[in-house]
Amino acid sequence: MPQFLAQTLNGLTLAGIIFLVSSGFTLVFGVMRVTNLSHGAVYLLGGYIGYSVIGVTHNFFYGLAAAAVAMATFGLLLERTLITWLGRSEMSELLATLGLIYVIDDVTLAIWGGSPLTINLPGVLGKSSTLPLDGVVYPNGRIFILGVSIVVALGLYYLLRRTRVGAIIRAGVDDREMVNALGINVRLVFSLVFMLGALLAGFAGVLGGTVLGLYTGADSDILLFALAVVIVGGLGSYEGAILGSIVIGLVDTYGTAYFPAVAYSILFLPVIAVLLVKPQGLLGRPNT
Amino acid sequence: MTGEDGEGAAAPVAAADAAVPVAAAASASRRAQLMLTALRRSRRFGGPLAAVVVGAVLIAALQGSGFTSTLILDMLVYAIAAMSLDFLGGYAGLISLGMAGFLGVGAYGVAIAEVHAFSPWAAVGIGLGTVLALGLVLGIVAVRVKGISFVIITLAIGQVLWGLAYQWVGLSEGDNGIPLSVLPSIGPVNLNDGLTLRMTVLAVFAVVALLLVTFVRSPFGLSLRGVRSNEARLAALGYRTGLHRYLAWVIAVFFTGVAGVLYVFVNQLISPTTMDFSANGFFVLMVVLGGLGSIWGPALGAVVIVLFQQELSIYVSRWESLMGLTLIAVVLFSPGGFWGLVRAVGRRRDALITRLEGGSQDGAQEAGRPRTASPPPVVTP
Repeated sequence: MPQFLAQTLNGLTLAGIIFLVSSGFTLVFGVMRVTNLSHGAVYLLGGYIGYSVIGVTHNFFYGLAAAAVAMATFGLLLERTLITWLGRSEMSELLATLGLIYVIDDVTLAIWGGSPLTINLPGVLGKSSTLPLDGVVYPNGRIFILGVSIVVALGLYYLLRRTRVGAIIRAGVDDREMVNALGINVRLVFSLVFMLGALLAGFAGVLGGTVLGLYTGADSDILLFALAVVIVGGLGSYEGAILGSIVIGLVDTYGTAYFPAVAYSILFLPVIAVLLVKPQGLLGRPNT
Repeated sequence: MTGEDGEGAAAPVAAADAAVPVAAAASASRRAQLMLTALRRSRRFGGPLAAVVVGAVLIAALQGSGFTSTLILDMLVYAIAAMSLDFLGGYAGLISLGMAGFLGVGAYGVAIAEVHAFSPWAAVGIGLGTVLALGLVLGIVAVRVKGISFVIITLAIGQVLWGLAYQWVGLSEGDNGIPLSVLPSIGPVNLNDGLTLRMTVLAVFAVVALLLVTFVRSPFGLSLRGVRSNEARLAALGYRTGLHRYLAWVIAVFFTGVAGVLYVFVNQLISPTTMDFSANGFFVLMVVLGGLGSIWGPALGAVVIVLFQQELSIYVSRWESLMGLTLIAVVLFSPGGFWGLVRAVGRRRDALITRLEGGSQDGAQEAGRPRTASPPPVVTP
């Protein structure tokens, strides 16, 4: 039982990291109809940048901030150049961001090399403590990640549901033309959403670097998680991203713990089930 | 071509200005007539002629067993996969990011069956059978969606197949991969003989290419294009659009599996790297670079990508960046890919034919009359 509990917590931690990545992915798709396949590469690049900044400053939180800021800037640049140039062609954007994956992967390989890196958490976060539940000894860092992702999830929920910007973003998901016709600067909203998505991915890269590690291929791993999440939850749905992250995080963790030979494929079971029952995803809309 | 264009078309204009004897104009019109015939023949015979020439060159180049032969075999195998993906992506509008997975299934099917002491021919049957069965089953899930969702789902399928090859060590030997030592042989066709194998790969490539071209031109191919461009209309006309997509998927998956069987024959080893994310991206790259919806273009794309991988990687250490940038550049500036350029040449030829037809009729009826119907020709110096 304690082992199962620890696995559940591991699953939720993973769900937290996956959520940070997939919420950005799904928001960008929902608002802009852009499928940014390089989202996983942005996650990895953010993680590497965080690693280097931590190496220089010896402060984990500077690394976290640096990765977030650097990736937000990168996202803004990407949106203002490539995505704008491609002018709303869904498939072209998908293909161009696929090309971008090769470039980012290659550049990170050239700078940080091929051997896996791990980001160490500072001070008390790097230690473990005994939980009041069943006496499970659990790393503080994972609890920290779980806490941070819950805070981010609540913050994003507040932003989307309770603020004017959020109302515009939600309206953009529903009816982009109408938002434009109301005189709202949709271009600005696009840039903000794209920046936010990249920021979250970079931020998640540093957190993910502490428990999942940074390695060549980490980007496609996390991208697969994010894609599974959006299929299960519904492409473009924020609540779907939360639900999907929990499902995928838990399924993957239990799979790895109890069925290691087919762990990667067990991930696919909820995906197939959802596709058969509700192709648009659990919380997705039929026409997206 | 532009040079001749200027020469042939400028002559009547010059004749009109100077009012030279009829003989000169007649010779000019005869020249135009000859060129017109040549152009018309090129329209009808250009494709088959190019195929015969390329085929002859390939047969000659594959006689030896050196590096060039290996390179060409790689190109042919990947060309089969790229053409299959183009059939699915370019004609049915379903771009799949998971085809390397099915190439892997075909290859692993053969290799695993041989490990379990099946005869080589039975192993081929098992490999192709597995791919076909998997295509039939997964198709039920995959073609329920289209567009971006289809890309995402096929990516997930491809990653899962890769995950099985990588993690299911008991079946797939994991990261090490499975070597294949004995190839099938029947009567005089013994694939363990290098030359026979090379010719077989070439023959299979030709058969698959011709089959795909036939499918594309068949009523099925035409309605497939209809499903891609306006599904609602096709459905209203009574076409079973879902079935069309499903069949296109199964055909593409099966031929990719065929490429997988040839892959393991040629390389005598199959390992998970052959079907990883980056391999899936390469397939899409081949198709987009070659030209979506042209069958032959993606084969050309496969040639270029294999050259990139095998040759450029020796001289340029950051060749993957270069490839990514190439994909971005093609998407941005030349959405038709290489075949778009070939098509542009074809269009210019057709335009030239139309113009010459007008010109030669004028020449025959009334030598030297300046033509006003078509735009004034540009004389290249």
